Amino acid sequence: MSKIIFRLLLSFIVFVTAFIAIRQLVIPESFGKLGHYRANSIEDNKARVPFYKGTEKCASCHQDIYDLQFSDLHSEISCESCHPPKIDANTECKIMPPKVEGTIEFCAQCHKMNAGRVDKGVPQLDIEEHKGDQNCIECHNPHAPWELTE
Amino acid sequence: MGTNGMNNRRKFFKASAALIGGTIAMSIMKPLGLMAQTDSDDNTQEKDKLPLWGMGVDIEKCVGCGKCAEACKIENNVPKEPFYFRTWIEQYTVKNDGEVKIESPNGGIGGLKQSVPDKDIFKSFMVPKLCNHCTNAPCVQACPVGATYISPEGVVLVDDSYCIGCSYCIQACPYGARFMNPVTKVADKCTFCYHRISEGLQPACVEVCPTDARIFGDLHDKKSDLVKFLQKNPTEVLKPHLNTKSRVFYNGLSSEVR
Repeated sequence: MSKIIFRLLLSFIVFVTAFIAIRQLVIPESFGKLGHYRANSIEDNKARVPFYKGTEKCASCHQDIYDLQFSDLHSEISCESCHPPKIDANTECKIMPPKVEGTIEFCAQCHKMNAGRVDKGVPQLDIEEHKGDQNCIECHNPHAPWELTE
Repeated sequence: MGTNGMNNRRKFFKASAALIGGTIAMSIMKPLGLMAQTDSDDNTQEKDKLPLWGMGVDIEKCVGCGKCAEACKIENNVPKEPFYFRTWIEQYTVKNDGEVKIESPNGGIGGLKQSVPDKDIFKSFMVPKLCNHCTNAPCVQACPVGATYISPEGVVLVDDSYCIGCSYCIQACPYGARFMNPVTKVADKCTFCYHRISEGLQPACVEVCPTDARIFGDLHDKKSDLVKFLQKNPTEVLKPHLNTKSRVFYNGLSSEVR
């Protein structure tokens, strides 16, 4: 074999090896296993801890409130709709829900008159006319809204 | 040169042909191996067992309270500024003169408020929006690096560690469901709360919805709430003319909705 052919072949092999080596290095592990993406990313997406624990978890300690709520019109609403977990809460509920202030603005989120809400099974009120100068929770128990306090 | 030169040239051609042939053979063998894998019975059976997640949205039930948008932000660490949403609610108000007003102050968090006086309104309704988890996802096609993909369960996900933040997917999405996360500096979007549904929980927005306007479930499971919802109601997807074949189905969708 002449020298020039040998050099050509050698450089060819070097380039091909370098290409394969760099390709191996650059393409992350598990890429292309399931498709044109990193299959391990599915596990990464699963890895987070849920903040919202669900009504059953709340009921495991607060059974009395759960029963009360289940008996009345707010039975469909999950605890965490009104008592969202704290953003820095982790797996346990130690630093969980802040107590909901019975502000009118809070109840108005669902119950203030809105043309887009009529006939949807959620009572619509002209709040200013309905409440007078009282707070909603002065008359209504938010867990059982038809148990009026006098 | 002479015969010697010819000999060398022949050797060179032979060697090159062998190399090129080998490379081509290798490149053919790899996809063949993958094909053989997907053809095998085990794998197809496994695929049938996997759920195919989807969501139903009942516009006739949504009251626009904004609990879903709020819960989504808490569950998924979405920045609190009123510009970043994985899900949000829009109030559509059709006026008597036919003009359509669409508004979504702070994505509906804190409750949507009527801004047009009753006498001017022809009709009004709330439309919750989120990623539609398309079967033919334009964002997946647009991604230049393979950082967004459709998971085996049909959920469109983002690979945070692989995204280069080029924003092509955000431009490609016809539903405006993606945004650039200012903290992680990568594309962010609804994942159907993938970490929750993998544990058997409901997505946060479905969990907190007070009127059950959102229905989540497995499209393969004939007994799931979602399949029953689809059987009972005439549903439609958003922008069906784009042929994205999305898996978020709306009941009571008016033609005004964009």
